[in-house]
Amino acid sequence: MYGLVTSIGVAGRIGQFTLENGLRLVTAPAATGQVAAVNLWYGVGSRHEVPGRTGFAHLFEHLMFQGSGNVAKGEHFEAVERLGGDINASTSTDRTNYFETVPEHALDLALWLEADRLATLRDGMSQEVLDNQRDVVKNERRQRYDNVPYGTALERILRLAYPEGHPYHHPTIGSMADLDAADLDYVLSFHRRHYGPDNLVLTVVSDLDPEDVHERVRRYFGGIAPRGTVAEAPEAALDGPIGGPVGETVVETVPAPAVFLGFRVGPYGSREFDIMHLAAAVLGQGQGSRLYQRLVVERGLAADDGGGAADLLAFRYTPSLVLVSMIARENVSGDELEAAILEEIAGLAEGVGEEELERARAVLERDHLQSISTPSGLADTLSSCAQLFGDPELAYTWPQRWADITTDDIVTHAKRLLTAENRLVLRFEPGAQPSAEAAAEVAESGTGLGDETGVEHGAADGAAGDPAGAS
Amino acid sequence: MSKLQLRPTLGAPKPYTFPKPSRVRVGNGTVVAIDVPGQSYVAVRLVQPAGGAAEPLDRMGVAGLTNESLEDGVQGNSSLAPALERHGAEWVSRVTWDSFVTGVDAPANRVVDATALLAEAVRTPALRPQDVLRRRDQLVERFWLEASVASTLAARSIGGQLFAGRYATPLSGGPARLQEITPELVAEFHSEAVASVAGTLVVVGDLTNIDVAELGKTVFGDAEAAPARPVTTPGSASGELPRILVLDRPGSVQSALVFAHRAPARAEIDLPRAEGMSDVLGGMFTSRLNMELRERLGYTYGVGCRFDLRRDSGVFLISTQVEAPTTAHSITATLAEIERLQADGVTEGELAAVRESNTVGLPVSYSTARSLAGALVEMVVHDLPEDHVDRLRAGFERVTAEDLHQAAREYLRPRESVVIVAGDAKELRGSLEETGFGPVEVRDPESLWT
Repeated sequence: MYGLVTSIGVAGRIGQFTLENGLRLVTAPAATGQVAAVNLWYGVGSRHEVPGRTGFAHLFEHLMFQGSGNVAKGEHFEAVERLGGDINASTSTDRTNYFETVPEHALDLALWLEADRLATLRDGMSQEVLDNQRDVVKNERRQRYDNVPYGTALERILRLAYPEGHPYHHPTIGSMADLDAADLDYVLSFHRRHYGPDNLVLTVVSDLDPEDVHERVRRYFGGIAPRGTVAEAPEAALDGPIGGPVGETVVETVPAPAVFLGFRVGPYGSREFDIMHLAAAVLGQGQGSRLYQRLVVERGLAADDGGGAADLLAFRYTPSLVLVSMIARENVSGDELEAAILEEIAGLAEGVGEEELERARAVLERDHLQSISTPSGLADTLSSCAQLFGDPELAYTWPQRWADITTDDIVTHAKRLLTAENRLVLRFEPGAQPSAEAAAEVAESGTGLGDETGVEHGAADGAAGDPAGAS
Repeated sequence: MSKLQLRPTLGAPKPYTFPKPSRVRVGNGTVVAIDVPGQSYVAVRLVQPAGGAAEPLDRMGVAGLTNESLEDGVQGNSSLAPALERHGAEWVSRVTWDSFVTGVDAPANRVVDATALLAEAVRTPALRPQDVLRRRDQLVERFWLEASVASTLAARSIGGQLFAGRYATPLSGGPARLQEITPELVAEFHSEAVASVAGTLVVVGDLTNIDVAELGKTVFGDAEAAPARPVTTPGSASGELPRILVLDRPGSVQSALVFAHRAPARAEIDLPRAEGMSDVLGGMFTSRLNMELRERLGYTYGVGCRFDLRRDSGVFLISTQVEAPTTAHSITATLAEIERLQADGVTEGELAAVRESNTVGLPVSYSTARSLAGALVEMVVHDLPEDHVDRLRAGFERVTAEDLHQAAREYLRPRESVVIVAGDAKELRGSLEETGFGPVEVRDPESLWT
């Protein structure tokens, strides 16, 4: 199924430039005219946080909208909104992302706003701004994690999957106590350490001539000095299995039992990751997947999730996680559901059909191609590939990575990786609600149930592959 | 910082015109298409008028269940999605109050195959009773799973607070009514309102090698023209207005708040005035409510408002989730912002923001095949002219501060509204009563739809 859309010809139209201060610029053509999608990936995320300072990369992302040397609090948002533009930001373990899509004539303004907060954020920062955004972030945490059924799942999964002190042991949203402890001096030093043009990939997707874009970017960013010293990330290398089965059962106010299973696999970008990405798609991506067909349609054990039971938490600098999650139907126990999921997972090691593999490949390829079919989605993927892998052209060629993976590859890897020794199990069981204080101490997830009012601002999630993100 | 540039002065935006769709009559249906060269994912949508609003009260939820059941395909057993997946295509469908929409997003070179699958799924699905029952039971359970999220719970209870008749029950039918929909009722509804009705086919993407009339022929077959739809204004729910309804959710660390009242129907509202006013109040990040509740008070992660407009009626709603102890003050602060807008109108800066964001931003709004297709679907559902987007733009260009001020007085009705609070009743009741907004009623969420 490889080759749904011919894209190789487009790859040659990518522009790549590096300014003297280290800023990497990527340009690419837009599929629809009159727009410029601007996307920035700074190489800083929650993996750079140390114990006692969790949640900081994300809190910082909020502060980037609170004014800088020449821009008042809220003015960045206002300026782009007045242009009818889309604007937001998100933080994950591995990077912090800022983006805006504006009408083409407003590209210079978007670049100027971004350059100003990169160069002069510290001039706009105050204790009042910090206190306000700390409150906003604490409410973001309540809304997305603490006040949502199963909302604490991701935080618990990371705790089980990565050892104490490891930079992926804590979630991006951080803890309430650490957020409370954030002080202004640390905000200023965080900006100095992590925000420099040398730590930035800037992508512009538009119909403008790449040299023209290059010239504009040089005009606005060229005068910004690189960081004096390059901040080092805490060591994140990790070998071997989880040391499982490890597990936790949470009893709280949830509507039904839920089962989360996790397995450590290779880092994002490794061949092992790609193979397990396909394995996860065979298992739980789409309504043709095994978990959907068997547990939703045939056996009626799991709630209908539309075919999204398995995916990967993609981490670039440490082992990623295969994550499988399902919610039990009425009158189905958590034990029964867990046993049924484990049975399907074990089945992968017993064989995978060619047709299943083709379907899985087609699903992943579709998702990838859809994500790059819009100007903002393309810009984000180009930034990702440039920041994480140093090669933006991967945005167009990524599906080729799945082309030569065989059913044998999946079986062999499933046998080695989807084992009890490499497994974590998190269970939720309906029961009495703990006190609000207790609920607030633990928290986080990207796996909870969504909201359907559709009218609130600032709640867009991170890009695909950043399930640990917060915005 | 002398090396930094001064803030650039922007030139004039390029004038934007919404792409003129082609329109072809095929059999008893119409194909409306926009060619977007280079857009390799094509959005295909079949629009039929059989939405939830037309459902008889003893069949509430039948449209939604039928729509969902189409995903079992011509062979049953959830066979449609895997068939589409093999073409790199994705099923896209939804039922609204006013429409029954099915469709696919597919790579341009697979769109013929994917559309053929769409056609057979819509015209000749298996609709096996065991599949329909499975879908129904799953929907009922999913309703409660989703309603365990505070904001969803609050949103789903709006209809019952404002309307009598069909709108008093959620679009999906809610768990009790949906449980009464049998496979026979689904088959009957499908036969009368879906299979035999041609409808309108929307196609957007790179159409270089695509014959859209052929796609129409595939989808419409010999189906009949869509029937005309009568419009009658729905009645109102009983009960004193304004009032506060608390949906008890013990232990909630946040309260989900919805402030809702009735609004005119889609065809009766002056959109630039109404939406421009709504933008100022809560429709933008920099709106008054977001600046106050989020950026000044720090009570919430975000707050927004919008009109939910249907063919026969409408709703205006403000929605947010606030830290529990700030619930009562969030309500009074919201009311104060409404009163201020009604008393003093908008600033010149706000007027400019409304005008600009709804005019110069159009290329951004319509930068994807999906958003273009969405606009065409809206035009079909509400019988809008094909230059609707351009007319709307012209309306925003003309809008004045006085227009927005007048819209605030005309369209915002705080004294006719219901405030719904999904939160901890024991903790909140006293402070909610002290707001003096209106009587406070507490209900167990489980009692709402049974």
